[in-house]
Amino acid sequence: MMLLLALLVPLAGAIACWALGPWLRNLAGWLATAAVGISFVATLLLWGAATQPGGVHLALFSWMSGFDFGLTLDPLSLLWALIITGVGFLIHLYSIGYMHGDRAFARFFAYMNFFIFAMMLLVLSDNWVGLLVGWGLVGLASYFLIGFWFERRSAVAAARKAFILNVIGDVGIMFAIFLIVANVHSIRFADTFAASATFGAPLLYAICAGLFIGAAAKSAQVPLHTWLPDAMEGPTPVSALIHAATMVTAGVYLVARCAPLWSHSPRAQMLVGTIGALTAIVGAILGTAQWDIKRILAYSTMSQIGYMIMGVGVGAYAGGVAHFFTHAFFKAQLFLASGLIIHALHNEQDVRKMGGLRARTPLAFWAILVGVLAICGIPGFSGFFSKDQIIQGVLENGHPWMYGVGLLTAGITAYYMFRLFFITFLGEYRGNVDPAQLGMAPEAVGAEVAHEPASTGSGEAHAPAWVMNLPVALLIVPSVLAGWLLFSTDGASSPWSRFFAAQFPTAAQASAAAVPEWATALIALGVVLAGIGVAVARYATRSAQANAVARLRDESLRMPKLLVNAFYVDTLIDGVFVRGARLLGSLFGRILDPHVIDGAVRGVAASAVGFGVLVRALQSGLVRAYALVIVLGVGCFLAYYVFGIPR
Amino acid sequence: MSANVTNADWAAVLSIAVLGATGLAVLVADLLARTFVRRYIAIAIAMIGIIAAGAIVFAQYGTHYSAFGGAFVVDYASVLFQGIVLLGALGSVILYGAIGEERRIAGALALMLWSACGAMLMSGAGNLMTIFLGLELLSLALYALCGIAERAGAHEAALKYLILSSTATGFLLYGMGLLFGATGSVALSALSNPALATNPIFWTGVGLFFVGIAFKLSLVPFHTWAPDVYEGAPLPVTAFMSVATKAGVLAVLVRVFLWSLPSQHVSDMLLPMWIVAGISMIVGNVGMLAQRDLKRMLAYSGIAQIGYILAALAGGSAEGFNAALYYFAAYSFMNLGAFAVAAMLSGDREEGSVIANYSGLGYRRPWAALAMTVFLLAMAGLPPTAGFLGKVFILRSSVETGYVWLAALLIVGTAISLYAYGRIVRAMYDRSTHPVPAAKPFVPLAALSAAICAIAVIALTFYPFSR
Repeated sequence: MMLLLALLVPLAGAIACWALGPWLRNLAGWLATAAVGISFVATLLLWGAATQPGGVHLALFSWMSGFDFGLTLDPLSLLWALIITGVGFLIHLYSIGYMHGDRAFARFFAYMNFFIFAMMLLVLSDNWVGLLVGWGLVGLASYFLIGFWFERRSAVAAARKAFILNVIGDVGIMFAIFLIVANVHSIRFADTFAASATFGAPLLYAICAGLFIGAAAKSAQVPLHTWLPDAMEGPTPVSALIHAATMVTAGVYLVARCAPLWSHSPRAQMLVGTIGALTAIVGAILGTAQWDIKRILAYSTMSQIGYMIMGVGVGAYAGGVAHFFTHAFFKAQLFLASGLIIHALHNEQDVRKMGGLRARTPLAFWAILVGVLAICGIPGFSGFFSKDQIIQGVLENGHPWMYGVGLLTAGITAYYMFRLFFITFLGEYRGNVDPAQLGMAPEAVGAEVAHEPASTGSGEAHAPAWVMNLPVALLIVPSVLAGWLLFSTDGASSPWSRFFAAQFPTAAQASAAAVPEWATALIALGVVLAGIGVAVARYATRSAQANAVARLRDESLRMPKLLVNAFYVDTLIDGVFVRGARLLGSLFGRILDPHVIDGAVRGVAASAVGFGVLVRALQSGLVRAYALVIVLGVGCFLAYYVFGIPR
Repeated sequence: MSANVTNADWAAVLSIAVLGATGLAVLVADLLARTFVRRYIAIAIAMIGIIAAGAIVFAQYGTHYSAFGGAFVVDYASVLFQGIVLLGALGSVILYGAIGEERRIAGALALMLWSACGAMLMSGAGNLMTIFLGLELLSLALYALCGIAERAGAHEAALKYLILSSTATGFLLYGMGLLFGATGSVALSALSNPALATNPIFWTGVGLFFVGIAFKLSLVPFHTWAPDVYEGAPLPVTAFMSVATKAGVLAVLVRVFLWSLPSQHVSDMLLPMWIVAGISMIVGNVGMLAQRDLKRMLAYSGIAQIGYILAALAGGSAEGFNAALYYFAAYSFMNLGAFAVAAMLSGDREEGSVIANYSGLGYRRPWAALAMTVFLLAMAGLPPTAGFLGKVFILRSSVETGYVWLAALLIVGTAISLYAYGRIVRAMYDRSTHPVPAAKPFVPLAALSAAICAIAVIALTFYPFSR
């Protein structure tokens, strides 16, 4: 029951915010925040039961044999649920301040609560269908929220792109689920995993590949990653919650959840690990070439998820999941802190226009500093423990080249994160410098002006309310400390590994690593320090700070075309899928003669004059509105006929 | 299915063949007769064909056999439903005597006859294939019929009907697929297997099948197309849709849902249908209130009336079936009659479908107004019309079989509708307003149809046919 509560309260919040939005006004934010808080507490109360062997299981209903729907809470889903609702709660709270004054304040919180519901459904389902529904709904919520400021053409384009790329992933997952149901005759995970040993290798590989296409699309893995940087068109809290902390890690969850499938298919493991490693390094390299603070963070998110995917892909499940855990904190914190800056600078997102912000936004300074130290993996901060565990884990599972990629990426990460930090906070404030002197392209300048219309700034930097400061301050604590859960003196009995002892039995071939753990930590630290050193030399020295404007201009103008265009993957993906979909659409539009449709719509407008009040709302004369009514009706019917069967 | 096709098999579909051939004859005659009377020649041929088909149909009254290995059934229900289809076709064809462009009449008549063929096929359908065949024949011809007129509204109606109807057909076909999957047979008789009563695939199939049927019957929430399409389509086509289409679909509904489903759990399986019927009564009658277009109003009226007819069927009793048939026959006459009056008042631009043009009609066209009054009273269910008696039958059947809530909704719906119908009657005899719309002084065929329908609506009260 508690589990159902945790799942449904955010949904109720979403419906309330949506339906009562005009009346609730600013209360909608508090209502939505409270709903997520309740969900968090309910999940927390189930901690004890969930960590028992078998976890919590709640059978909801069963349709025909094999189609049993239920919810489950085991350590894996408990971890995700706590992060979703816990970090989600803080970000909701933050959003009350960030979105203050937005015309669609209540609608924003309705979407956010709906997202929490969908994400909870995704991680709590004990079956493929529930997972798929949640999977689709988080994509929908993400689509709505990326395009939240739909007056902006770029936001709409970004939302559409995310949608199309995610549909590719959904098709992959559906394909895998069809294969599973056809072979297992059950939609439950448990039955699937029990039967997976009997699958032939090609079948298992096909299933894993299908699932991973979905995971790759949702988690922005190469080459389906291009939507994530564009998704930064959404409000910053959305970037923090959906496009950093939770939704984009759904792919990690899926791979970890399906650990029994992967562990039987080395080829599939190789695929996932390779893609993860590739994503980690590609994301990091691209992160060095960005100027928009949120895009830098987006590429770093992509890179960090690459780590996680690489870890869970090759069998280092505990490590990959641990990195999700710590990353959720420090990346949410980085985003929220950058939101403070963006808010204070009236929607300025280009780091070239920042500089010297330490005094102006002290909290953001400290929060970003801690976040940067954590993501770089400085010992003592959370990222250190989890990242090392992944790097060590891939080596233990016999993939030395991934070990190398992991270390290299750590160095690049240190460079671009400190680059972000130095450019933003050191030197003089450059907000008043002519953009051309900073090497900013003229069209980019125009675009920045229109950014983040949420703000109701009065012309001077306004201090954010406590609702925005508190979550940022609170997140600093786990960003620093969360990693210690992974620490143990004997290397095996950390709280973390005990928590997951039942979920991920330690693989037998592990521990035969060529490099001991402490050595890996030292090597990683060396690489990271080298990366930081480069950043210091380029941006933090006295002369670099003094000539910041000229240096940034140089860097902007000399940026390799290859990096500016993100290896042209975007161009390719855009050309093939996004434009392909649009072409298909316009093709259909041309077949169904546009004049006929237009005429239909206009003609009806004239005839829609004299309607009964009650019927009027539904009788708009638009074919699509009618089709919607039909679909809703069919939904009600099917609900009755599918679930009303006597037994 | 066996390949032995006997003469009896052909006899079962002879009426349909005659009707189809008549359509061809109309087209040929139109080619040959290029004089000013060709409109009347075409109508005459169509009417003769329909009456001949009707004679063949009623010659089978009292017989009961299945043809083509069970694909087509001749029985009491098929005869009566086919009779109503032909009645609807006749009443609609005759309206072309009053309106419609002359050069398009023959094509429209042929399409209408072929559409009626589809409805007749559905009336006697014995398996899912025949149902679908009939439905598509009916619908495809109707799409073209809706768009055949020059008016912009007609094209819109045709497109809308095509899109939404195809959606519904998709559901229907999917439902048929699931039913076939569950039973392994297309025969309706295979649906009664008791083992199916708890089969989820079967249930889902029934649900999807019903969605398709509910759309074609324009039941809420699948009714949205009806007002727009009724308004946009040419007047005779609207009349045809309101009677013949519904007869064919209703026959399928009776055969599949009432006579073929396994008896166990059947009331659970059909519950949504009665709920939909109840909602349709209310929504249809409420929707009528604010209409300014007669055809649009009659679309809503039809939504409600189909709800009444389903309410009669709800108990599944023989008496309820008879009540439904009786009311449906009465409904056909009153609808055809109302459309005939509208045709009498219509010029090139269908002035007869504008409700405002009826004010003061009682003093300009007393006979037309009188006939219209009879039809409206019948629709509202007031004595001395068949509408009243039909509703009494329905109420009795619903109460006796335990569907009291449907009876209550019927009464509420009727009360709401009194206002909508009464509004027109009052306007017709209102002395204060005298707009003079352009209308033809005398339209013999439409007037004849209106007169026959008016007499039938009253006469049926004294001859409540029953089995």
